[in-house]
Amino acid sequence: MKIIIAGAGEVGFHLAKLLSYESQEITLIDTDKNSLAYASDHLDIRVIKGDVTSIAILNEARINTSELFIAVTSSETTNITACVLAKQLGAQQTVARISNSEFIDQKDEVGFTKFGIDELISPENLAAAEIELLLNQYGFNDTYEFEEGALTMLSLRLSRTASFVGKTVKEAAQVFPELHFVPIAIQRFGTQYTIIPRGDTEFKEGDKVVFITSKGGDDELFELSGRVKTEIKDVMILGGSKIGSKTTNHLCSSKFNVKLIEKDKDIAFELADQLPNALVINGDGRNVELLEEENIKDMDAFISVTGNSETNIMSCLVAKSKGVKKTIALVENMDYYQLSQSIGIDTLINKKLLAANNIFRYIRRGEVVAMTKLSNMNAELLEFKVTSKSKITKKVIKDLNFPLSAIIGGVIRDDIGIIPLGDFQIQVGDKVVVCCLPRSINSIEKLFF
Amino acid sequence: MKLNYKIIFHIFGLLFLFNGGFMLISALTSLIYKDGVVLEMFGAGLIILIIGAVSMLLTKNHKKELNKRDGYIVVAFGWIVMALSGTLPYVMTGAIPSFTDAFFETMSGYTTTGASILNDIESIPKGVLFWRSMTHWIGGMGIIVLAIAILPLLGIGGMQLFAAEAPGPNADKLHPRITDTAKRLWLIYFGYTAAETILLQVAGMTFFDAINHSMCTLSTGGFSTKNASVAYWNGQPVIQYIIILFMFLAGTNFVLSYFAFKGKVQKAIRDEEFKLYFKSIALFTIIASLIIYFKADFSVSSIEHPMVYGKGEASFRHALFQVIAIITTTGFVTANYTLWTPFLVVFFFGLMFIGGSAGSTSGGVKVVRHMIMIKNAFLEFKRALHPNAILPVRYNKKAVTGDIVFNILGFFILYMLSFILGALVFSMFEIDFESAIGLSASSLGNVGPALGDFGPVNNYAALPALGKWWSAFLMLIGRLELFTVLILLTPFFWRNR
Repeated sequence: MKIIIAGAGEVGFHLAKLLSYESQEITLIDTDKNSLAYASDHLDIRVIKGDVTSIAILNEARINTSELFIAVTSSETTNITACVLAKQLGAQQTVARISNSEFIDQKDEVGFTKFGIDELISPENLAAAEIELLLNQYGFNDTYEFEEGALTMLSLRLSRTASFVGKTVKEAAQVFPELHFVPIAIQRFGTQYTIIPRGDTEFKEGDKVVFITSKGGDDELFELSGRVKTEIKDVMILGGSKIGSKTTNHLCSSKFNVKLIEKDKDIAFELADQLPNALVINGDGRNVELLEEENIKDMDAFISVTGNSETNIMSCLVAKSKGVKKTIALVENMDYYQLSQSIGIDTLINKKLLAANNIFRYIRRGEVVAMTKLSNMNAELLEFKVTSKSKITKKVIKDLNFPLSAIIGGVIRDDIGIIPLGDFQIQVGDKVVVCCLPRSINSIEKLFF
Repeated sequence: MKLNYKIIFHIFGLLFLFNGGFMLISALTSLIYKDGVVLEMFGAGLIILIIGAVSMLLTKNHKKELNKRDGYIVVAFGWIVMALSGTLPYVMTGAIPSFTDAFFETMSGYTTTGASILNDIESIPKGVLFWRSMTHWIGGMGIIVLAIAILPLLGIGGMQLFAAEAPGPNADKLHPRITDTAKRLWLIYFGYTAAETILLQVAGMTFFDAINHSMCTLSTGGFSTKNASVAYWNGQPVIQYIIILFMFLAGTNFVLSYFAFKGKVQKAIRDEEFKLYFKSIALFTIIASLIIYFKADFSVSSIEHPMVYGKGEASFRHALFQVIAIITTTGFVTANYTLWTPFLVVFFFGLMFIGGSAGSTSGGVKVVRHMIMIKNAFLEFKRALHPNAILPVRYNKKAVTGDIVFNILGFFILYMLSFILGALVFSMFEIDFESAIGLSASSLGNVGPALGDFGPVNNYAALPALGKWWSAFLMLIGRLELFTVLILLTPFFWRNR
């Protein structure tokens, strides 16, 4: 597939990285020489220096033969213009990154497809949706739902009290004979490596473990991880940015009580005007006294989404020290993002990564039903639809020549999630969730196509 | 300080032409009813027309620019000039020979107060009576323009909140679109007046009484053509219900009527001020009805109360009529509320401070200001708990900025101060406490009937001359939302800085 990515910022680079693993034919366009040089050094892609709204540059990238044009520069108007141009010049599909969420809400009324933009991606919207999902699945660090919850991916860090610390995967599975969950990836404490667990892999304290669960499995997991499940009700949000107000708006319309802290008085007033159900507080979130005055210790969750990554991380650490159960920090900087939970914050979100993943999912839509990258783990979660041509239906799972760096997490048959064992036979029409390291994506794909 | 005198006098000239025109209409009434003052009425009209025309001609080449200061002058002096010129028919026909009395009566008319010094209204020539009602009606037209277009521009007492089409609180010059808005609202005003006239006539009033009462209802004025006011029709409840309906409408924001006629009924009904206006009338009527039914004795009232449909209906009707008449500051009366129970005296005195909706022809503090002050007061509790929280007052689901709330609080404090000062001055004329506070509240709120010696069945004739001037002044500042007039009394208005 021939893909042109306009904008070599973090979204563009990350996307190029994701796609280049799968040996797509990728062209990256940007005006900044340095980011292009960095991208071409690290990735197997073609780069063009130039303005993405220039017709000459687009032609140079051979837009007329491209299957997909993705505009992810930081400027919304540039993205829209570039997509419109690209479509007219022959690109089959276009994706634009935008920041004005009105465009997404009223996508059909305005008719973006009519003038050439097939998909709109708003990092801010994605981040807000992600935060809401995280709060609803409190207790787990990351969550992702397949087929409206038939299967759920959950990740959690093992504390000392977790009953399966020190046991192998096989031993842990025997505790619950009716298996509702399966571990699909483990990241050892303090390392950056991701392990795909086999039967003899041992759980250790501090491990971040990703599970696939079928319905009901999340409660069992909770019990095993040694925590008590409580509802999140009171939420404090720091920063009235687009993500902050969007999240507040979403949370207020469901069951949450939200306190929103914004530094700028005029913006705070605007927010108070738009969000009648939230309590908007004017003040600097780095001021611990202010946080205490607003009862931070009684909060169930603390979400920091200011424009400053350091502020977000530090204030989340403050919140954690005050006993807030769940903390989420927005981080722009990819390096911080890699540090993740080793610094003590439950979840870090990066809107650019979210955007890249979302676009990636959109691209893979044809063959893969859903796809996500495990956050700050070097593994991917793919959902395949089994067709009559798929080789995987030939044998039961244990007899398949399945790569060691991949694991079948679950199967969805007739909208019901199943955790398959070794003697499970995959059938045509099933949807299969696979976790794998990037290097085995191709061999996995061969099993399904 | 440089005022644009030419345009100010040009506008005054226009007001004179306007006034003169209406005087000629009154003169026609005199002609039709053959009341013997036709010549005097025509004379008054012609004099005013000529003054107006001369004034306009002399200032023909004025600069078409009106800044804020000019605006205050035009509004405040406009009303005074109108009142002065309006005395002419009274004085020339000899209906009210004293100039003080004539000025009081006209000011009461233009400010739509409805307080009168006439002891025997029914003996006054019909043309003059028609003119008297007309001053109400003209005043009402002025107030609509004032409330919808001028006060929001001058940023007075939070009025910018309620204007539907004001170009914004910071505009320095008066906007030409005022005329369009005003015309539409005048049409509604005229339509309501015509409708009420027809209904009242169908219900059994004479045409003359019907048109006079309609003009006085829609302007929330309260002059009547009968000595007994609307109590004259105590035996015809239908007439009183029609007047109740139109008093209610006159107390609503005319912009809402405009929306309703445009088919946006929902928008009109969902208006927060309208809802509160409706609910408070309902609540107060229930309270008053119950007390009248169980506690009051109709026979003590100095007005006759035939029980056409029984005591229950009469209690309800008189309660509703009085509540609406006082809240909308119309001041028609069907009963002497000061004689029923002590509670009702204080009750109706309290209602004088409510006022109708902003953008209506009613006076007083206005429902919306009360609403915002109450909401703000409740938010203060919350603010004490969350000192850093932004907790804006919401009106029609929109956050109201802090300075508008301050405007309104400032207005209310000034209103109460004016009320106290007003009562104090009245008491200097040897007027007892109850009468003095009644007079002050009634004049300032443009209600009409007061308490004590100046209650619903009495009039203001007993006031000493100075007291009448003071009352007229209170009516004027109350009508023009205090700031407009009081700002002219501040030294910095006249300084060049």
